Amino acid sequence: MNDFMIETTQLTKMYGGQKAVNCVDLHVRKGRVYGLLGRNGAGKTTIMKMILGLTPITSGEVSVFGQNIKGREKRVYPRIGAIIETPGFYPNLTGTENLEIFARLRGTAAPNAVKDALEIVGLPYKDKKLFSKYSLGMKQRLGIANAILHDPELLILDEPTNGLDPIGIAEMREFIRKLSVEHGKTILLSSHILSEIAVLADEIGIIDHGVLLEETSMAELEKKNSKYILLEVSNVPKATLILERQFGLKDYSVQGDQTLRIYDTALDMAAVNKALVMQNIAVASSQLCNDTLEDYFKKITGGEGIA
Amino acid sequence: MLKLIQIEFMKLRRRKLVWLMLLASLVMPFFAFLYYGYFGKTGIDPAAFYKWSAFGYTMLIILPFVLGMLCTILMYNENRYDMLKQLWIVPVSRLGYFFSKFFVVLIYSVCFMLITAIASVLFSVLPGYVVFEWGSIFFLMKKCLEIALFTAFAMLPVLAVTASQKGYILSVCITLIYAFAGFFMTPINMYLHPLSCVSVIVSRSGDIPGLTLPQAVHAPVAILGIFLWSVAATLFAMVTLNRRK
Ligand SMILES: Nc1ncnc2c1ncn2[C@@H]1O[C@H](COP(=O)(O)OP(=O)(O)OP(=O)(O)O)[C@@H](O)[C@H]1O
Ligand SMILES: [Mg+2]
Repeated sequence: MNDFMIETTQLTKMYGGQKAVNCVDLHVRKGRVYGLLGRNGAGKTTIMKMILGLTPITSGEVSVFGQNIKGREKRVYPRIGAIIETPGFYPNLTGTENLEIFARLRGTAAPNAVKDALEIVGLPYKDKKLFSKYSLGMKQRLGIANAILHDPELLILDEPTNGLDPIGIAEMREFIRKLSVEHGKTILLSSHILSEIAVLADEIGIIDHGVLLEETSMAELEKKNSKYILLEVSNVPKATLILERQFGLKDYSVQGDQTLRIYDTALDMAAVNKALVMQNIAVASSQLCNDTLEDYFKKITGGEGIA
Repeated sequence: MLKLIQIEFMKLRRRKLVWLMLLASLVMPFFAFLYYGYFGKTGIDPAAFYKWSAFGYTMLIILPFVLGMLCTILMYNENRYDMLKQLWIVPVSRLGYFFSKFFVVLIYSVCFMLITAIASVLFSVLPGYVVFEWGSIFFLMKKCLEIALFTAFAMLPVLAVTASQKGYILSVCITLIYAFAGFFMTPINMYLHPLSCVSVIVSRSGDIPGLTLPQAVHAPVAILGIFLWSVAATLFAMVTLNRRK
């Protein structure tokens, strides 16, 4: 047995002749926040719908809580809370009444479930305001309140900060982190906002045109994207020799036959330059670089960046 | 199931139209009152008055149309605001969902016909057109409940179709067409349309004067007709609800 809360194997979805999701292998670990990053139309919502059994799978498999979900939906749903796209509610009812309906449908035992859920997302309890009069952000909050109403172990949140104002976004992120850290919930969330994934996720899956291009942990990504000095020299082998001998440098990598990446940014570059020049090695450039997640994303998708 | 039905009623809060539509049950009793008042007759055969007030247009057009509107209202929000996926992951079963709506229609139908019956009695006995007599009132009540029950089942096809509609305009049109089709199909073949089957069942013992039917009355055939339509409608609804996520 593994500790994957969600695992997909070769998950594929065709809409007509178009492949919306293409052979995706997703691994969401217990207690982690998994961020699915992709541009509009990349297939994030489709993947989530397939995980929840809301749309038929063309091929491949989904297992949730370690077992194939097919035919077990009824038993699995009470353990999952989800919002898919913008959640809808009854416009002629107040937020509290809406949640009471869902609480009764779920048979939620806790008497204060509705009140607590509303409090967590920052909406008033027993308010007179009808859902039809809610702003987009309030609707989104109510959707989240509904997703956490029954205290599920697994949350699937499709663009949870969609439509929230900056303060609302900050609150929501805070709150998602809290759910993960304090309550130990496993969260799969999607977003097209890179910085959001960067601050929230422990694991990240980058998806583009239905293909999962990369699946990695945030920690690993940070290591990949740490600061480094880019050194362009005429003779790389000779330069590395000098660096190792004179400066005791070990943490570097060779990039092509003219450039070096030095990860030890505390290195005295003036001295390095001088030493190299003295050995007849021309230094074309030396600069301090900082790969951002955005650069990484560009590199991975081989195209335009993402907001 | 009881929980689902209760929840259906919770969803109808602040829907004034639902309660306003109950007023339509008073229309025909009131017309009957005016009609007989115009002739100034007394001592009318109760069945003749009730034929006007409850077994006429109320049964043929008004009740089907009102129930069709109710179907539309019941289905509208969840379709329009894309709520079904939220319900499925609760989880709510498709069959339970469909039949909880049907039971609301059934309960509403019974209320509607009871109001019709009470209004018919009040409008006939109070002005003195009809002599108060328990026998005819029981007859009226019995027939009204029959109408309520069978018409609700006969509306299942409309409920199934509204479940597949995102807007309400088409649903309302379909309701109208359905109600009038039942009305106009009756002279051609009474056993094809569920609503004309209701007329057959209600008038099976020939004790409603003036309600003439073109063919020989076979109540079991009519019940079978409604049953087949109900099964077909339920199957259709399950297919569409499964497809629409
Ligand atoms: N019901 C559908 N029928 C046909 N094609 C669809 C359907 N739903 C989605 N698609 C297509 O599948 C692809 C992926 O859509 P999806 O909604 O999963 O993207 P997304 O990553 O959630 O985008 P966004 O960030 O805009 O929400 C898109 O090209 C879309 O056009
Ligand atoms: Mg989406």
